[in-house]
Amino acid sequence: MKGTGVNMIYIFSFTIIYTLIKQRDRLLREKKNLVLYLLLSMMGIALGVVYMINPYLPSLSLLMEKYMK
Amino acid sequence: MNREVTLRQITFMYLFISLSTVLRQIPETLAEEAGRSGYLSPIWSVIATVPLTAIIILLIKSYPGLNIYEIMVHSLGKFLSKIIILLYMLWIFLCIIAKVTIYSLTLQFTLMPKTRSDFFMVILAILVFYALIRGVKTIFRFSELTLGTILILFAIMFICAIGRIRSDYLLPVSTINLKNTVMASKQVIVVGGNIIIALFFADKFGISVTKEQIRKLWFGIITFTVLAFIITLFTFGISGTSLTKNLPFPFYITVKSISFFNIFERFEVLVTLICVLSDFIAICIFAILLIRCFEWLFNIQECNILFVPLTVIVFYMTYYVSSTQFEFNFLYRNVIVNLNLIFEFAIPFLLAFVCLIKRKKIKKQF
Repeated sequence: MKGTGVNMIYIFSFTIIYTLIKQRDRLLREKKNLVLYLLLSMMGIALGVVYMINPYLPSLSLLMEKYMK
Repeated sequence: MNREVTLRQITFMYLFISLSTVLRQIPETLAEEAGRSGYLSPIWSVIATVPLTAIIILLIKSYPGLNIYEIMVHSLGKFLSKIIILLYMLWIFLCIIAKVTIYSLTLQFTLMPKTRSDFFMVILAILVFYALIRGVKTIFRFSELTLGTILILFAIMFICAIGRIRSDYLLPVSTINLKNTVMASKQVIVVGGNIIIALFFADKFGISVTKEQIRKLWFGIITFTVLAFIITLFTFGISGTSLTKNLPFPFYITVKSISFFNIFERFEVLVTLICVLSDFIAICIFAILLIRCFEWLFNIQECNILFVPLTVIVFYMTYYVSSTQFEFNFLYRNVIVNLNLIFEFAIPFLLAFVCLIKRKKIKKQF
């Protein structure tokens, strides 16, 4: 069953683009700001896409628990 | 003098963000590690929390008007400071993810078991975003305003619960259990270490910090210890150790049996509300710390625009880090507790050590 998490990717993508357009002056004032914003946005979207493809991936805690036993 | 943040506000904030962990994790972990005598562990925690507070005061006084990053730059150099700040950033990030997870798990366990965690996270993200737009001062004022009411509520609950405490659940305590209680105090220490947030906001206190303001920090540590002791004592005394160690939120179950002269009941809803508020404020304050770390690490101003992509990362990372109560318990006991010891104690102790070595040089500078 796909949850809200899967559909949230569309809302998040829209919010990221909307913020990028609305805050373009602040972001373009310093290149570092823009690079950081784009990098973090891409990381977030990538995580969302991975979750969209497979929402049942084992969590980090579960993997650690398996290896630590 | 109109300061952006005062030590009084930091103390209130420290108590407020520690509340949810004191209510949820401390009784459970102490019952598991120290058994029946676990309620004595909060008393031992002062062995670590009092020196930590003394160190924070020493650093604030030695480096007036400087925050933790600037203190690090002065004592360890810029390169090493950036590496440590990067590590702090990752730790804060993990703390936020853990808080978001436990916030949704708490609501699922207590009030809304049929609602999906995604829903809680989305609502929380909107609320946190709104709070952050309003600014740091609003968040501090909120905790200042609410904490007093919460403490009064706790006092009423404890008075009502005194008659329900079973002495056979708490006594006898022998010296054989002493070692266990001391070792288990680690669980209280890692929560008490939250007082380190004072160093992150140290540049907002102004150049001079009065004795009266310093006393507030000591008041915070004492109140925290007393609160942790009373909450554990009541949980153990009413629910018993075996039940406490097997429940995800033992204080919630304990409060279910309390009534105010048979007039008012169901205090557990209020306990859930307190936990949710505490988590909400903790997430807000950690988000501010995270953004400050970004500012220090990348030398940029006005990092607030990064809240949107960071929210997206946190939202999805909650699924990848821990999503169930069992996974969260494992993460908390094996990862978060140990990381807290490093970032709340080891690094400030290192800074204080360097500060003491370079004392003469520092006195000339400031």
